[in-house]
Amino acid sequence: MAERALNVFWILLGAATAAHAWTIGLTGPSGPDSGLFPLIAGLIVAGAGAALLCLPSHRAAAPEWPRGAALARVLGVVAGLALMAGAIPYLGFAAASAVTMLVLLRTVERSSWIGSIALTVGTVAGVMWLFGHALGMPLPRGPWGW
Amino acid sequence: MGALDGLATGFAVILTPANLYYCFLGSLVGTLVGVLPGIGPLAALALLLPVTFTLTPVAGLAMLAAIFYGAMYGGSTTSVLVNIPGEAASVVTTLDGHQLARQGRAGAALGIAALGSFIAGTASVVLLTFFAPALAAIAIRFGPPENFGLMVLGLVCTLYMITGSAVKGVLTIALGFLAAAAGIDVVNGRERFTFGSVDLTAGIELLAVVIGLFGVAEILANVEHLTRNTLVAERIRGLWPTAADWRASWMPILRGSGLGFLLGLVPGGGPVTAAFMSYAVERRIARDPSRFGKGAIEGVAGPESANNAAVGGSMIPLLSLGIPGNAVTALLLGALVIQGIQPGPLFMTQRPDLFWGVVASMYVGNVFLLVLNLPLVGLWVQLLRVPYRVLFPIVLLLSVVGTYSANKNVFDLWVMLGFGVAGYALRKLEYDLAPFVIAFVLAPLLEQSLRQALVMSPDGAMILVKRPVTAVLLVASAVLVGLMLRRKQRSEGGNA
Repeated sequence: MAERALNVFWILLGAATAAHAWTIGLTGPSGPDSGLFPLIAGLIVAGAGAALLCLPSHRAAAPEWPRGAALARVLGVVAGLALMAGAIPYLGFAAASAVTMLVLLRTVERSSWIGSIALTVGTVAGVMWLFGHALGMPLPRGPWGW
Repeated sequence: MGALDGLATGFAVILTPANLYYCFLGSLVGTLVGVLPGIGPLAALALLLPVTFTLTPVAGLAMLAAIFYGAMYGGSTTSVLVNIPGEAASVVTTLDGHQLARQGRAGAALGIAALGSFIAGTASVVLLTFFAPALAAIAIRFGPPENFGLMVLGLVCTLYMITGSAVKGVLTIALGFLAAAAGIDVVNGRERFTFGSVDLTAGIELLAVVIGLFGVAEILANVEHLTRNTLVAERIRGLWPTAADWRASWMPILRGSGLGFLLGLVPGGGPVTAAFMSYAVERRIARDPSRFGKGAIEGVAGPESANNAAVGGSMIPLLSLGIPGNAVTALLLGALVIQGIQPGPLFMTQRPDLFWGVVASMYVGNVFLLVLNLPLVGLWVQLLRVPYRVLFPIVLLLSVVGTYSANKNVFDLWVMLGFGVAGYALRKLEYDLAPFVIAFVLAPLLEQSLRQALVMSPDGAMILVKRPVTAVLLVASAVLVGLMLRRKQRSEGGNA
């Protein structure tokens, strides 16, 4: 079911891309224009999507999707990353990553509070030192200056 | 410049404290990545790519290349001791390597893996030294139509070699082209597929794509099935193979070296295919194939040699033609472009210091790796005690830093997350994602070549037929597509 829906999505994506590429322009005064290449790629995506929809032999045998605790762990990591990406502009790298890591260690990994805090502080400090100090890569800072 | 003169230049470049340090660092990180399951060489390369922005191109490229071949060495440790492959090219090593460990011969398995890797790795760099300049000397006469033909052939070869559905392979290549199309058109400077977003003007960031597809997706797959590492051997003894082990292994090492090198040369080949192919060959020609899977040392020696030799082989199309044969070399190509270096046949003549410096670094790196993997194997064994559930938040943090540091833009983190989730789901549905990365990196070069070829042609697309080299390359691509369709028909006929 999921694969069939995905194949329909490929057809729609390919068709929409090809239509948009057409509006950009396929040929110009100096030959092929910006839309030609994406048009070809879009048509291939749509065609391949249609082929996958029609040819059952190309479908995945029996994809196993996560359930229960496994699903919770996968969603926990996705939510943690989303939280971090959303929080970095406001909290800075150190605070956002510390909060995310602590939450992941407590929920996904189910570590003890002491273990989680120790690993979080050590890792964040290590990454800040390595990238921010030793390698000279500026990491985003929070309102408190770090 | 001859190959030996070039190599002398390369050693003069690489034998400085700073360059040696980065080559060693790459070897160390590569081994670490190989040992730790769940972090592949591609994700590690992507994570460390931003670090190279502040380094000289030689130091940066030597470090990234060392991560690639270092991971091939390290992967065997986990396969032998834990029965979990440290990275994909060591999957086949679990079959006999772990059985040897269970029989109390972990040292012999690890020893032959490291020594075979060293012999094959060094042999493939020797071949690289002489083969790459010869190929570049031919390719230097190529213009845009020939470059276009070469890239098409490279993509078709990639498609030919992938496991699973070829239609899904075609689709991922086309998706790679589409993703690469977003941003400024390299030919006329017009915006396309940006939908008014300032963040998309510069295009989709390669690092965000690779870290998402191969770093975040891998983490998601691993947290779904959290397993506990069970070490078979706590202390490793008898690392130096016995005379009987050498007698059984020297031919598989030689065959693995040759096979691996050839499969590395072919786009779409690379270490994973080489290791599997070598195992299949050794098993087929063995006097007693029933020993395989029960602790045959040839089942470790051949594949471990093959995956290392494939690294040297896969560097040839990258360094002499600018064509990446697999996702890791595609990322190395991206690293060259980021450093402002135009990869291709002219690379060797324009930047001999860099070309020969990287080649020389591979000789040095193989020596570093032998030391890291034989006397220091105990260190890596201790590392295997660290549970993945503790490692993954650290890897996640490094993924965020690696992605962010490319452009200092939070938008890239969302791109990384999106590609991570997509990569996880697509892998479940048996999509091979390596062709996506190769297409994503090649797309701007391929489009530029095609458009330049069409602009310079008075007969439009006929230039692709009238230029003999281009025509041969395109015909070869068509033949491969034909063979692929025939293979598909046969397999369907066989199943019916």
